[in-house]
This record gives sequence, structure tokens and C-alpha cells, in this order.
Amino acid sequence: MPSDFPVKDPQKIWQSQATEPFKMSANELRYRALQRQSKARLEARSSVIIGLVLSVFFAWTFTMAHTVLARTGWVLLSLWGIYAAYHAYKWVWPWNLPQDAPISTCLEFYRRELERRRDHLRRRWWRSGLPFLLLGMAMVIVGTGAQNAPPHPLLNALPFILLFAIWAVALVFMNKKLGRENIQQEIEELRKFETENH
Amino acid sequence: MRGPEPSSAGTVNQDALYEQAADVYGSSLARLARAYEFDAEVRRDLLQEIHFQLWRSFAHFDGRCSLRTWVYRVAHNVATGHVIRQRRITDRLVSIENIEVMPSNNHGELAATQAEALDRLSMLIQRLKPLDRQIIVSYLEGMDASSIGELTGFSSTNIAMKVHRIKTILRRWFGEGGLDAK
Repeated sequence: MPSDFPVKDPQKIWQSQATEPFKMSANELRYRALQRQSKARLEARSSVIIGLVLSVFFAWTFTMAHTVLARTGWVLLSLWGIYAAYHAYKWVWPWNLPQDAPISTCLEFYRRELERRRDHLRRRWWRSGLPFLLLGMAMVIVGTGAQNAPPHPLLNALPFILLFAIWAVALVFMNKKLGRENIQQEIEELRKFETENH
Repeated sequence: MRGPEPSSAGTVNQDALYEQAADVYGSSLARLARAYEFDAEVRRDLLQEIHFQLWRSFAHFDGRCSLRTWVYRVAHNVATGHVIRQRRITDRLVSIENIEVMPSNNHGELAATQAEALDRLSMLIQRLKPLDRQIIVSYLEGMDASSIGELTGFSSTNIAMKVHRIKTILRRWFGEGGLDAK
């Protein structure tokens, strides 16, 4: 049996919990801001460099290919390198609270963040340029296979097609797991709340 | 970093506002972090992030709302962003209305110690969706319905209804009469 009244009073329990004093000095705050900026810049630069190196490598391989299909595939892969570099640069910035967050109510902020998350999940496929990458790889494999005169190019591409199918199923499963539908449902509920409260 | 950084003229004011906010609301912010993160290490990072974003936000403080509302909005919004990024949002969190119809874990027994009661309370809060969490934390911090409404964007009627439900749930979790005794 509890000995004291506060155990029965949640507000007192909550407010009397022990907290360590915490405060950041002006120097610490500025250092953190600089550190975050440098880290983001470094990540963005490395992603751009990797994308461009891949692009140059694929462009060079293009000159070695003999069939039109394989060459088109290498061109596509080379363009994907540039595309991936651009998108890495665009998305690599660290998360920061939007400037209007203290002015917006928590309801608006929460809804907007969920919308951002939903859009992030929805466009992930295109944003990473995976369709171009896969199409390019398929063209290179089939094109190179045709040059080596196999019984049928499709047979050579079979492992790739199987891998692609497994990957597609995994992606669908992951998307479901991440609960895009749940997020959408939550957004709609929040919109309803916003309309009711205006 | 995105967005303009504070000008040197505004820097002093920004620092002073942060100092004031950290002095006055430091303990509340630490408690708020506890409502959003169970793991002590991650909670410390979250608290640092709240302080950092609070300092950043003061570069744009224009007094259109009180310092308290500003501080709590920034803190709750940073913490909500944390919950969303941790992907806990989708299926594990429930609303106050859901909790109300769930049986409590304590089988009607009261917590024997302050620590046990606090654990039980934290467990309850962390099962809630962010907006309901904001409401319960604000209620526990002693804010009135209109302040909670200003912070969250819910109407006073909605807040009153939610607070009523919160009280019912807490009464069930912390024993009959505990809240009535206040």
C-alpha cells in the first residue's frame, strides 16, 4: 500500500521527478551548429563525388560495349550516376526544425511532418532512381548476353529477373510495414480535427 | 544548415532568451523528453536537440506568443519529429480514447513507491500518439485548458473532453480518489 498521498497524485508524481540540470553554453550551441553544417557538407560532397565517379566509370564502359542494347544500358547507368549525385545532395541535409514551427500549433506541425514523411515514402522509388538503374542493368546484361550468343538472351537474364522479383516483393512488404496507409489515415484524422477546431 | 542564421545584432538577444528559457523551463523540458523517449542515452540526445533547436528558434522570436508557449511548441515539435523519425508512429501508438477502454496493467493496485508510480505514468504516456501525449504532458505540468489549446491547436471543448478522459484514465491507473483529493 502506498505510504504517501503524492503516489496517488499523477501531477505531483510527474512534477517532482528528479531531473538533472541541463543547459548548453553559447559556445556549445555554436559549435553544434557548425559541426552539423560541416557534417552535412561533407556527406553531400562525398555523395556527389561517388555519383560522379560512377557516372564517369559507366560512360567509360560504354565505349567498350559492342551491342546497341548494352551501350544504351551503360548510358542509362551513367545518367543514373548524375541523377543519384544530385538527389543525394538534395536530401542529405540534416533535419532542422522548420522556422515557423514555434508559430504553428502542434496540430499543424504534426500534420505537416506526417505529410512530409508520407511523401518521402511515396517517392522513395523514384527519388533513388531505381527504375533507371534497374532498366540500365537489365539492358547491359541482356545486351552483353546477346553478344556472347547464348541460346536465348532471356535465359541469361533469368537470375536478374528473379532477383528483381524478390526485391519488388520485399519493397512492397516494407512499404506496407512502414505503414503508409496508417500515416495517411492519421493525416486525414488530423485534417478533420483542424476543420473542427477552426 | 537550412534557413538564415541569426545576425550578430540578434545574437545577444537570442542567447539571452535561450538562457532565460533554459533557467525557467529546464526541468519541464527534461520531463518532456522523458515523455517521448524511454532510453536514457537517446533521451539525453533528444534533450540536447530540444535545447539546440530552441536556441535556433530564438533568432526569430517576435513575441507574438508568450515565451512559455514558444518554448513548449518548439520542444513538443522537436520531440514529435523524433517520434516520427523513429518510425514509432504507425501502429504501436494509441489515442487517449483507446487507452480509456483498455484494462489498466496494475490490476487496481496502487504504486508502492514514487519511482514505481513514475514508471507507470511514463509507460502510459509513451503509449500515446504525439498529440495526445502533448495534452497529457501539458496537463501533468499543470497547464490550464486554454493554454493547452493555444499550444496544440485544439479547441477548448476538445481539450476539456480530452482532459476529462485523462483524469478518468489516471484515476484508474493511480487509484480511486487520487485526483479527486486535489
